[in-house]
Amino acid sequence: MKKQLAMVIDSASCIDCRGCMTACKVENKVPPGKWRNWIKEQNPDLKNLDNPGFMHFQPGNCMHCDNPTCVQACPTSATYKDDKDGTIKVNKKLCIGCGSCIPACPYGARYRHPEEKVVDKCDFCEHRRARGELPACVTTCPTKARTFGDLKDPNSEVARLLKDNNGVRVVNRETDTQPNIYYLSMTAPIDWPVKAETPAAIQLWKVINPFVWGFVGLNVLGVLAMLGKQLLIKDEPLEVEHK
Amino acid sequence: MKSKMIKRHSKVTIFMHWFNAFCWFFLLATGLGLIKNEDLQLMGGWWSNLMYSIFGSGETLLLVHEILGLTWLVVFILYMIFGSRKYVIPFLKQVFTYSPTTDLKWLIKKNIQMTLGNKGLKRLGFTPDIPDQGFYNVGQKLFAVASVLGGIVIAATGLIMFFSNILMQNTAIVQWAIVIHFVGVGLVTGGLLVHIYMAAISPDERPAFFSMFTGTVPEDYAEHHHKLWYEEIKDAERKAHSA
Repeated sequence: MKKQLAMVIDSASCIDCRGCMTACKVENKVPPGKWRNWIKEQNPDLKNLDNPGFMHFQPGNCMHCDNPTCVQACPTSATYKDDKDGTIKVNKKLCIGCGSCIPACPYGARYRHPEEKVVDKCDFCEHRRARGELPACVTTCPTKARTFGDLKDPNSEVARLLKDNNGVRVVNRETDTQPNIYYLSMTAPIDWPVKAETPAAIQLWKVINPFVWGFVGLNVLGVLAMLGKQLLIKDEPLEVEHK
Repeated sequence: MKSKMIKRHSKVTIFMHWFNAFCWFFLLATGLGLIKNEDLQLMGGWWSNLMYSIFGSGETLLLVHEILGLTWLVVFILYMIFGSRKYVIPFLKQVFTYSPTTDLKWLIKKNIQMTLGNKGLKRLGFTPDIPDQGFYNVGQKLFAVASVLGGIVIAATGLIMFFSNILMQNTAIVQWAIVIHFVGVGLVTGGLLVHIYMAAISPDERPAFFSMFTGTVPEDYAEHHHKLWYEEIKDAERKAHSA
């Protein structure tokens, strides 16, 4: 990976205005009812006044993980980690719309586009980056909670922020996908990512694979046995005398 | 030696055979290349990488696979419609008709004979006579059944994947279609290896191999390898003469 594009988010600055969600929706023509990004919230527990907790907002989107369970679930590798910029991409022309990657994301960052019938998600606004702009959610954020850049470049703002502060990542305990969205110091909520699930059919495929190849291999052995016999063993005439 | 040739295959059958063989070869090569996910690909990534470099990109590879698969299907549907009475129904009748006791005997003895020779057959306590066969022998019939059923399953699951981007709402169906497509191809490919060995490499069936170009087999081959069929033809000839 030459670059690793990433976000460092100061969730304490987020005021839940949802400007990032709106900007993304418009910029990427995200269909009704679907979102490429989100703001998770933690509310104080007002029934437990001794320890009510606090209110906190946490913006997020596809985390362009280093251990992408979505890529591992995709049969055709239409979803892949780009080795130039480290983002997780979807080649919509290679995607056959099987949806295997959707439950494989702990963050629910993927959805099946209702019209295109292929998977869609945040691409860190690839088309905007191509013309030298920042992702729409980063540009639009009024409190500058979102910072975007290349983690591998020590002079980038994201690298500098992580050098000067504690970066935390929100992960599921059972399936740590090593996300590339960092939150500064403390963030909440942290218990929402789900366990990455591979669909039953794809799981069965992984189990059945050696048996299918084994069957083909057995046939190869059978053919080799016949070939060996053909080449090595001088046999009696093969045809039996017919009356 | 009798040198007279008798007709075994029509031009249509010969065309369909080689058309099918051509499609199978390229569909297998491209299809295997489409499984780029190395968790699902026991061969490792080299085959996919080779196919990607030949076709330029994954989406071109998918497109070629889809066009070829659809062409294969359309030609077979036309064959089944226009050739049903002359070719398809007689073929299906032949390959789905079995006589359990003699067929089982043939299967056991022929396999031993092909791998261990007639000596092996005697050593294992079998008599060297092998039950007479009709137009197809049991091995050919079993492979034909596997090809027909496998072909139906592969075509159906292929269509599900092809149309998943247009009309499928339920992604679980698509996920299962991929796995079943893969397993179906694996099973038929196992049989295909034996089929290719028998025809192209084994000396016993060489006349049958040439008949897939010329359409005819020598009379003594027909008598020794497909005696019941040979006798049918002789009976028909005798009747024609006496009438």
